[in-house]
Amino acid sequence: MNDSLRVKSVMVAFAICGVTMVIVGAARGASGDAEIERQFQGTVKPFLATYCVNCHSGANAAGQLSLSAYSSVASVIGDFSHWDRVKGRLDAGEMPPSGMPQPSAGSRKQITDWIQSVRSNEARKHDGDPGVVLARRLSNSEYDYTIRDLTGQDIRPAREFPVDPANQAGFDNSGESLDMSPALLSKYLMAAREVADHMYLTPQGFEFAPYPMLVETDRDKFSVERIVAFYHRQNTDYANYFRAAWRYKYRVILGQPTATLAQIAAQAKVSPKYLATVWQALNTKENMGPMAKLQRLWLALPVPAKGQTELAAEGSVKMREYVERMRKDTFTVFTSPTVPAAAPPGPNAPSTILGGAGLSSTSQPLMNMRNREFATHRRDFDRTALRADSPVPVAAAPPVVAPAGRGGAGPGRGARPPSPAALALQARMENPDLVVPSGQLPLYEAAFARFSSVFPDTFYVEERGLSYPYDSDFKGRLLSSGFHLVQGYTRDDAPLMELLLNEKEQKELNRLWDEFEFISDYTAKTFIEFFFNQSGEVDGRGKESGSARPPDNEVTAEAVVLGLKQQYLAKAQGYPAAVKAIEAHFDSVNGTIRGVENARLAAEPKHLENLLKFASRAYRRPITAKEREDLLSFYRSVRDKGGLSHEEAMRDSIVMILMSPAFCYRLDLVEPPKTADNFRGPANNLNAAPPRVSASSPRAIAATVPLTDYALANRLSYFLWSSMPDEKLLAHAAAGDLTKPGVLAAETRRMLKDERAIALATEFGGNWLGFRRFEGINTVDRDRFPSFDNELRTAMFQEPIRFIYDLVRSNGSILNMLYGKYTFVNPVLAKHYGMPEVKGEPNQWVRVNNAADFGRGGLLPMAVFMTQNSPGLRTSPVKRGHWLVLNVLGEVIPPPPPAVPELPKDEATMDLPLREVLALHRANPLCGGCHAHFDVFGLTMEGFGPIGEKRANDLAGHPVDTQATFPGGTQGSGIAGLQSYIRASREQDFLDNVSSKLLVYAIGRSLQISDEPLVGRMKTKLTANGYKIDSLVESIVTSPQFLRRRNPELGQEGN
Amino acid sequence: MALPWLESFAAVAATPPSSAFPKRFAVMFMGNGVNEQHWGAEGNGDDMKLKQSLSPLEPLKKKINVIEGLFNKESTGHGVHPSQTGSILSGAQVTKGAVIHSGVSVDQMIASRYADQTVQPSIVLACEQPETGYHETNYSMAYSSHISWQSPDSPVPNEVYPALAFDNLFENRSSVRNLSILDRVRESVRDLSRQISATDLRKVDEYLDSVREVETRVDGMRKAQSKAEDAAKGQNRPAWTMERPANGLPEDLREHMRLMCDVIAMAFQTDKTRVASLVQGRDLGMLYYPFFGVKEPHHTASHSNLSDGYEQITRLHLGQLAYLAAKLDSMPEGDGTVLDHSCLMFLSNLYSGRDHNNFRLPVVLAGGLGGTLKTGRTLDYLKAGDDNRKMCSLFLGIMDRMDIKLDQFGDATTRLEGL
Repeated sequence: MNDSLRVKSVMVAFAICGVTMVIVGAARGASGDAEIERQFQGTVKPFLATYCVNCHSGANAAGQLSLSAYSSVASVIGDFSHWDRVKGRLDAGEMPPSGMPQPSAGSRKQITDWIQSVRSNEARKHDGDPGVVLARRLSNSEYDYTIRDLTGQDIRPAREFPVDPANQAGFDNSGESLDMSPALLSKYLMAAREVADHMYLTPQGFEFAPYPMLVETDRDKFSVERIVAFYHRQNTDYANYFRAAWRYKYRVILGQPTATLAQIAAQAKVSPKYLATVWQALNTKENMGPMAKLQRLWLALPVPAKGQTELAAEGSVKMREYVERMRKDTFTVFTSPTVPAAAPPGPNAPSTILGGAGLSSTSQPLMNMRNREFATHRRDFDRTALRADSPVPVAAAPPVVAPAGRGGAGPGRGARPPSPAALALQARMENPDLVVPSGQLPLYEAAFARFSSVFPDTFYVEERGLSYPYDSDFKGRLLSSGFHLVQGYTRDDAPLMELLLNEKEQKELNRLWDEFEFISDYTAKTFIEFFFNQSGEVDGRGKESGSARPPDNEVTAEAVVLGLKQQYLAKAQGYPAAVKAIEAHFDSVNGTIRGVENARLAAEPKHLENLLKFASRAYRRPITAKEREDLLSFYRSVRDKGGLSHEEAMRDSIVMILMSPAFCYRLDLVEPPKTADNFRGPANNLNAAPPRVSASSPRAIAATVPLTDYALANRLSYFLWSSMPDEKLLAHAAAGDLTKPGVLAAETRRMLKDERAIALATEFGGNWLGFRRFEGINTVDRDRFPSFDNELRTAMFQEPIRFIYDLVRSNGSILNMLYGKYTFVNPVLAKHYGMPEVKGEPNQWVRVNNAADFGRGGLLPMAVFMTQNSPGLRTSPVKRGHWLVLNVLGEVIPPPPPAVPELPKDEATMDLPLREVLALHRANPLCGGCHAHFDVFGLTMEGFGPIGEKRANDLAGHPVDTQATFPGGTQGSGIAGLQSYIRASREQDFLDNVSSKLLVYAIGRSLQISDEPLVGRMKTKLTANGYKIDSLVESIVTSPQFLRRRNPELGQEGN
Repeated sequence: MALPWLESFAAVAATPPSSAFPKRFAVMFMGNGVNEQHWGAEGNGDDMKLKQSLSPLEPLKKKINVIEGLFNKESTGHGVHPSQTGSILSGAQVTKGAVIHSGVSVDQMIASRYADQTVQPSIVLACEQPETGYHETNYSMAYSSHISWQSPDSPVPNEVYPALAFDNLFENRSSVRNLSILDRVRESVRDLSRQISATDLRKVDEYLDSVREVETRVDGMRKAQSKAEDAAKGQNRPAWTMERPANGLPEDLREHMRLMCDVIAMAFQTDKTRVASLVQGRDLGMLYYPFFGVKEPHHTASHSNLSDGYEQITRLHLGQLAYLAAKLDSMPEGDGTVLDHSCLMFLSNLYSGRDHNNFRLPVVLAGGLGGTLKTGRTLDYLKAGDDNRKMCSLFLGIMDRMDIKLDQFGDATTRLEGL
């Protein structure tokens, strides 16, 4: 049995009594420093000389353990884990090996007692010592998570950084292992630049986009997508409003007698404002026209019985269809004004005489007029759609003829499909509700107007092509003006603004459009393209020709814009509609361009204010006056001397912030700058009462100082989230109340429930259990295991993360990791496990409560561990068993000797089952000493193949046998047998291991002997609290190791 | 790091073998096709006969390859213009509608491999502003405007101002920007290190040392470059330098194209970059050629591509290849010239504009890529079968010779036979 367990069990006993004095008392009789040293020289060293150093010394020491190198107790303490092993081997009687001279039981015990007394003495003296925690850079994962939380975008700039080295316990978040090098620094510079490239300026400050915002198409895409996404979030389906109105009408029957219209709207997820409008329209009696008919449909909706909430679904759709048909058939189509050729051409003259040609309907200034007309008449209707009482017999309706297109559609050419315009006209003619009884036209027009005002022809236009509204073939031009070749954008969402959105939503949509202009400057860009590519039409050179670059001005200068306006006006003289269009167009273009110029200037000071706030968030504490001054002077110098634009200077300032060690290092672990003028340093807190800490040595505590509130906030967030503190946490730091009773515990609980805590599962769980890099493994032969693709690999990687994250979030029992009967699967993993199908995307994860029925449940049988610990074409009971005892149970196994006999690589080519090959291997004395400790555990996992699939036969067809005789002689088979054995004999090892590992991870350093009392207390409390995971975390965050640091004033002597 | 070869060259004055020189790649693009009646060549070596539009290459014909009959399958069958252009250098299929998606272009693929060895991974230039609207086929005009794509979602922005293209290379704008950042960072770390204890100092010093080291490297790279430039000038070699072009856009297209070629020549000579692309005229181009008496803009003129005027336009554009090739050929480098270590590729997205034919593309290569690419040949793949005449096979062949071995690029898995 594992020795450290026994030692720690002793301490558990102490800790159960709950006070330090017990430990001190227990240790008092044993030995003090002097006594221990005396025994080392007088008893221990002679013993070693007699029984051990023959083999264990020098460069080729057996088991890579040299016992001749220890000259003092201090050197023993410095390397105590080896001495733990010495004690274990002595206790178990495994050393000295048989055949060598054996010590008496008495002297054996003398040595093991001495080792134990060293441990107790150390632990007692320094209990609660925070130890040396080095300042360090962020780990790659922390870098990515921090950038995500700082910018709001998951940019992952660290993906190209080299893999972080891990410390002894396997974690990559300690100063012991995280180094900096020039090569890495260059990558930091590139990463910072990459992040800064995502920045975009807004009128109020700056934010970050999901992709770089350097290229014009990306800037356009970003703004357009935001606006379209806003549109899509709105509920514009008439049927939903009719149904909600119906539910309100029958609210008593449907069980909500006191519900208001607004409450019903909230339930139905429709606009309360528009629902009120619709409700009123439906219930204000109309006598004629479409509203009257709609009201009849409304009144015909069925009366529900109790609970029949969906009864009006069908009727509501019918009502919507009616409204949509009526609006489609009364939709007004506007056309651009045109300017005909200057001189009336003779009947045979070509129409493109230079200088003589007019302005066609696709001329941008004229087309914009058409777009504006559409946008401002959405709640109006086409009066010519109404027709007189004597319905035209269908036979007499105007025949649907395709207009003569290119190439002509003369007789004999065969029928061409009718044009959309012709189809629309035909639909009108066939609509009986457009017929007006004679003499009632004014009344009907008014009725149609009321109807159209409530039911617009559309709430917004999302896509527009050149032949709008008949351009169903030209979908995909989001928010486009529909110009030929040149990109332009047109806003057409008045009904949405007026009818659906409340004031806050209107402001939001206006802001998105304003920012679109601010970010993309699209009016100016459209004008420039128009100028160079189309404005030649004004000289009669055709619609695909441009003007020459103005010699003295930017194209967008007011003089150029208005100059071109004059040319167009001259051209359009005598055509009032065109003149009006041209004036409106150029004035709007000029106004918008000037407006953007001014807005950009006005926003610069706000950008700088935001830069300072950004620095403060990036540094995770208030910035100092000096930092503020430095940042602003940097900005000024790159603008003034470096010749950068405002935007470039902002980007470079962001790069500088991200390159500052205050961002990319955990400086909170050392000390805040002493010049800090506006936050608490350690000096303020030195005399404060020590925070509530669990039992610890007063002497050790005296040599420490509490962390500042900001440092503690950082420590918490990097522990639980691997990322920066959020606003709430920083607010507590600013208020200085983070260590107040209740606040720390409440914040910890809040953070564990936050979704960012998945980082704890990924980073802690992944490194503890050794699967963090699984997504990069390529050991599986995909020809032999075609089902193993990247998707399955990712799913395997995610399974333990989902499992642990669920435990964290739900504060479950940590023992579920071992014995849980459930797990989490997505579609591909369910298939791999032979579980019932899970439908959906790879990110669709479901909990399977009866996983045990499929041989799964808990961490142990997860495919990721089986696969990771298989060398490709066979399983490896050795690696699997080793993984179990090392990662799960925390047993230290010495490294294998250099001359290891190799096992065959491919199971399919083996003559004997693997278990028999291994038995032979263990018979080799070189191997057996260690392999006896773990092979058996791997044998219980033989029911899973090289990619963790369930199997009855191995690849060579041998039936698999999962029987094992565990240390101590109990027998069991399969995962269930393994679980029973752990429950009976090794549960404490697991608890001890998970507690120690979590502590290492939390405080970012390897453990020292003085941490053992804390580990003991963690376990005790965990057991007392039903193994709930919160209890472990709480023990850690209230420990002096977590809350305090060694007093830097005392230097190294704090030890 | 850039330019070790130049430094050692200056110091030892010995002639290193050809393989010691960097290999460069440039693409020169003219949209809308050529006048096919005057396009093409016959024969090899001294016997090579160039048709009229290729006549500017006459003095260089031993250093060129005229390649006939290649095409890009994915660029066919999706309507005219933007879809025929957006993936000319990647072989990808471009996406219709609001989402822009193409493929990584061959020049950017090469650039990414050499990114850390030069000041700039690539220079992407154009003599015509891009357009951002939509064509009637409902493909974005971005496809017509850009040939260089650094990611499938994003084209590399074109630099149209010769002065800014020059500044970016020779003022080392990005190095200067990084230096001023590093300088400030170094100061702030130094402030910090005065305030913390000795134990922690070690970690902070590590950072400080790294900052210093990178700063020295960046600065060293700049200095090495100016030194190398000086050395090149002072070495009695016919080193060629250019003045910084005037601000703004040149009025005359011919001047504009010449300046852009000069920037590429300078960049290649001084190894500031190894990859360049130049859109001389984009697809659906609006350039005017008043000096040829052609009244219509380029695209409209291309609809009558058999006209004399369009032949002159074609010859003018092809002439830029001749100009740049001759310039590089006048720059000695080892036993040969910069041209001998380069590959310039002239191409268009169409063969003929009047029928928007892109089942064969006009391609001319100049330069021997350090002796790895035989020159002075006419290669005709028109009848080789569609699988054996892929543009992407040509790209694989070129990348091989630049030590970038890929199994697949675009739609090709095989190298162009006989290249």
